[in-house]
Amino acid sequence: MEEKINDLILMAKKEISDVTKEADLLNIKSKYLGKKSEFNALLASLKDMSSEDKKVFGPLLNARKKELEQLFNDKFDSLSCKIDLSFDESLPINITKGSLHPVTIVAKEITDVLKRMGFTVLKGYEMEDDYHNFEALNIPKDHPARDMQDTYYLDNGLLLRTQTSGDQIHAMEKYDLPLRICSPGRVFRNEDLDASHENTFFQIEGMVVDKNIKVENLIYVMREVLKEVFHQDVKVRLRPGFFPFTEPSFEMDMSCLICGGKGCSTCKGGGWIELIGCGMVHPNVLKNCGIDPDVYTGFAFGIGLTRLAMMKYKISDIRYLNSGDLRFLDEFEIE
Amino acid sequence: MLISCNRLKSYIKDSEDIDFVKVWDIFTMRTAEVENVIIKGEDLKDVVTAKIISCEKHPDSNKLSLLKVSDGNDVYDIVCGAPNVREGLIGALVKVGGMVSGIKITSRKLAGYTSNGMMCAWDELGIGSDHSGILELPSDTPLGILLTDLYPIKDIIVEIDNKSLTNRPDLWGHYGIAREIASITNHQLLNLPTLEVTNNKTDLDIKVLEPNLCPRYCGIKVSNLKNNTTPIDMQIFLSYVGMRSISLFVDLTNYLMLELGQPMHAFDERVVKNIVVKKAKEGDTYTTLDKVERKLNNDNLMITNGDEYFGIAGVMGGLDSEILPDTNSIFIESANFQAGSIRKTAVSLGLRTDASAHYEKSLDPNMCDFALKRLLYLLQKENPQMEIMSNLTDIYPNPLKEKNVILFKKNIGRYTTLEITDQEVKNILESLGFKVKINQDNYDITVPTFRSTKDISMEADIIEELIRMIGYDKIKELPMQMNASSKVWENFWEYEYKVKKILATTFNLNEVHSYIWYDDEMLNKLGIIKNGVKLLSQSKNNILRDDLSLSLLPIIKNNFKNRNEMGLFEIGTVIKNNENHSHLSILLATDEKNVQQTYMKGKEIIEYLFKIFKHQKVSYEHEKPFDYYNEDKSLKIICDNNSVGYLLLFDSKSNRYVGKNKVVVAIDIDFNIFMNIKTKEIIFKEISKYPVVNLDYTILTEENMKYDSLSNILDGFNNKLILNRKFIDVYPNENKLKYTIRYEVGSLERTLTSEELEKFKNKFMKYIKEKGLEIIS
Repeated sequence: MEEKINDLILMAKKEISDVTKEADLLNIKSKYLGKKSEFNALLASLKDMSSEDKKVFGPLLNARKKELEQLFNDKFDSLSCKIDLSFDESLPINITKGSLHPVTIVAKEITDVLKRMGFTVLKGYEMEDDYHNFEALNIPKDHPARDMQDTYYLDNGLLLRTQTSGDQIHAMEKYDLPLRICSPGRVFRNEDLDASHENTFFQIEGMVVDKNIKVENLIYVMREVLKEVFHQDVKVRLRPGFFPFTEPSFEMDMSCLICGGKGCSTCKGGGWIELIGCGMVHPNVLKNCGIDPDVYTGFAFGIGLTRLAMMKYKISDIRYLNSGDLRFLDEFEIE
Repeated sequence: MLISCNRLKSYIKDSEDIDFVKVWDIFTMRTAEVENVIIKGEDLKDVVTAKIISCEKHPDSNKLSLLKVSDGNDVYDIVCGAPNVREGLIGALVKVGGMVSGIKITSRKLAGYTSNGMMCAWDELGIGSDHSGILELPSDTPLGILLTDLYPIKDIIVEIDNKSLTNRPDLWGHYGIAREIASITNHQLLNLPTLEVTNNKTDLDIKVLEPNLCPRYCGIKVSNLKNNTTPIDMQIFLSYVGMRSISLFVDLTNYLMLELGQPMHAFDERVVKNIVVKKAKEGDTYTTLDKVERKLNNDNLMITNGDEYFGIAGVMGGLDSEILPDTNSIFIESANFQAGSIRKTAVSLGLRTDASAHYEKSLDPNMCDFALKRLLYLLQKENPQMEIMSNLTDIYPNPLKEKNVILFKKNIGRYTTLEITDQEVKNILESLGFKVKINQDNYDITVPTFRSTKDISMEADIIEELIRMIGYDKIKELPMQMNASSKVWENFWEYEYKVKKILATTFNLNEVHSYIWYDDEMLNKLGIIKNGVKLLSQSKNNILRDDLSLSLLPIIKNNFKNRNEMGLFEIGTVIKNNENHSHLSILLATDEKNVQQTYMKGKEIIEYLFKIFKHQKVSYEHEKPFDYYNEDKSLKIICDNNSVGYLLLFDSKSNRYVGKNKVVVAIDIDFNIFMNIKTKEIIFKEISKYPVVNLDYTILTEENMKYDSLSNILDGFNNKLILNRKFIDVYPNENKLKYTIRYEVGSLERTLTSEELEKFKNKFMKYIKEKGLEIIS
């Protein structure tokens, strides 16, 4: 009996696998499972069996019948499905995609980490007045610090800002204390273009004014920012610097990521890379904005965004950035 | 600025304890950035003093001489090409096996004669660039002595970043640098010897008409100067720090500037009559020492002599007062000029000199007479018979007094958590030249005038001095205490970012950055005249853009060299009505044949942006912002009754400019207006539970009928069964246009009956026919 069932199922399997038309399959099904089928005959023979045999063969027959029915159903599904799967799944893909400017990507990374620390991202003005770009920042007329930045003056008495630092003043004028702001933006200096000099480039300004703000906080914030941009831990150090709008003023260096601080051509052998101008907000700047420097302190920093983007992506020539050359820009993504 | 460590050593007591190679790492961390440390004289070996004892012409050569040279022990045969060889001359001999400029000297044949060594010129010793002849040492120079033992040839030259000294006038001379080194290394700074002048003669005739611009003017006349030769030590020093040696009188003025930072000037005394310091007359001309005629203006401060211009104050002298070979009496000027005035003059004349660079830093006027006495001391060393002809005449109406700053002890930790003791405050500040009186709750600090002209005036400045000398490396990082408010003041920048990201990801556009000024070449080619805000003193590309899209055209043009179509965007500043405006410009550039599809793509981008950022629809009106856009295809975008921007097509000339058979579609959105448009609240809309029927109608119109007009007609048909109306398609058909319109018809309460549907259809057909249009259902 068992042998017979096995034979039947084997034969059915063979026929099922050969069949290509739904109608033929129906015929085969009726041949194996229809009323006049051998399977049915076997089932019918159950009633003449002893009760012991019934207990053995009844469940067996039913199980095998279900098995066979499943085989037919699967074949029906596959025959009724008309999808042509003969395509080449190994064909390559050409992605069409847009891109963000590398400076935008780096600015986003920096502002994201600053936002986590409670900073608001501001936007400043490219055409600026002398007061916000210089005067309020403790840079009076004829101050030699103005020589450090060759300014584009305009025929309407305004200028193209030479630094994002003026946004410190705008922020203190517009918003209340405590203040935590950062401001990425474009600045202009009248320089001749070469591989490392542009007249139009980006900086990001940052500023915190609150009670009890210390240099210690500045170091923490800066190191966190750099860690985010370079996706690795970095060491930083402070050196004396000079900016009229901070006192004390610092240059912040980052340990060279190329050589790990041992000294290489990128860091000119020193193991450090000068990256950030920063310091504690000058009491005169606070006073200019109506803030009592005896009660509040703050720190401020400026990072060359363009320079940072060039370092991050190892861009060899600054002129690519404003070229609008899509062969260059296409390489950048969103993150 | 270049600094000689040999000089520094002479100013510091027990300086041999200091490692002058390593100390610069600490200097960088405490004071200013050191860019380079160069070891001098290490590439010299076996260079000794030697005397030419005989000198013959080479038989076959005009240039070469055959020398016998003695170093006191041996006599060497030397073949030499220098023109100044002569018997008795003492010079520098490199022996065979010795080294100059890192090159080993061997015995070699020159024009048939063996030369066992070489007589050196200065440049071969790495000192200056003089190659006119071999060294001529004083006749009393002992022979056979290593030159490096005799002269300060071995030195360490340090390059300090000028920019990091901008606020430190006191560091523009070696003595100031020495003070910092002494403080850093806990050494004592030595006093400089000077010549005290007894003012028992008469004052010189000096008048300062502009005491604000010239706070101090010191002058003196000295005579009987027989020796105008600069000692070799000083020549080497000058050469190492990048100055050319000229003559003792001139070199000494430069030396003092290098030592103390005080620019000085030596005039030939014979021409000096009466000195008047006053402003130039507008339009006058004056020829400076460099033989350039300069046009003066009323802001230029001048030194005049007997009513003639004598020099541009603090910048450069003139030809007529130059030291001549026969000069043996000089008038020495040591003056102080106001930094701003010097800077302005130097900039306006385009003449930046060492002197002007120093004055621009706001020098200490109290240094003038000291520097002068120091110069006299050095001058007398070389001219013991020197005679002083006049009083040290000192015009100094408002002497700069020392300032006091009170530093409250409670404020010392204002900027850092460093703890600083009374003793540290005293030690640090006194080593830097301050005087400190320790009181109960404060320090009364006297600031030396060489620090108070601009650098130090308040508590914060003193705290900086303290913590920089303790060391910034001692400050450990600390997270800020967070005030957990969710306050955000503005989100302009982040809104821009969101839009940029959508444009780059949803529409595959590339973000570009361009310049804020127009490209002149493009404007000229297109014949466009822009009267915007202009950059001063720029002759080219000097007009600021008022149309971002136009300013991006050169970028499109350049990219067409490498691709056939592109979509790019920038959010940038344009200047309109003397104000900053942030605009978004999207440019879609393609082949002419794709113009409709691309224009519609532009429309899709606009409507997509308004849909997802504002949940609003926009409408359009025909209007073009500038002439160079196509008349018919310029649409003003309106949302919530605001004009937000434009959908534009450049005119044919502009299209031709970017490339043959190319077109550029531009979207220009005023980003401030866009941002400020209210975002409509999303309110849940009931979804019909009953079947909705789609009814497609084809309407035939005249071929010049735009969808706008048809839409107006359709708007006139109101029926409560209409759930939605969509434009599906349009195509031309025998002088007509076939518009396909789809109505979604249904009810929220029940399934429509076929009678209701029929009724709707009939009503609609009737309405359309009444409007004179054909309809096919």
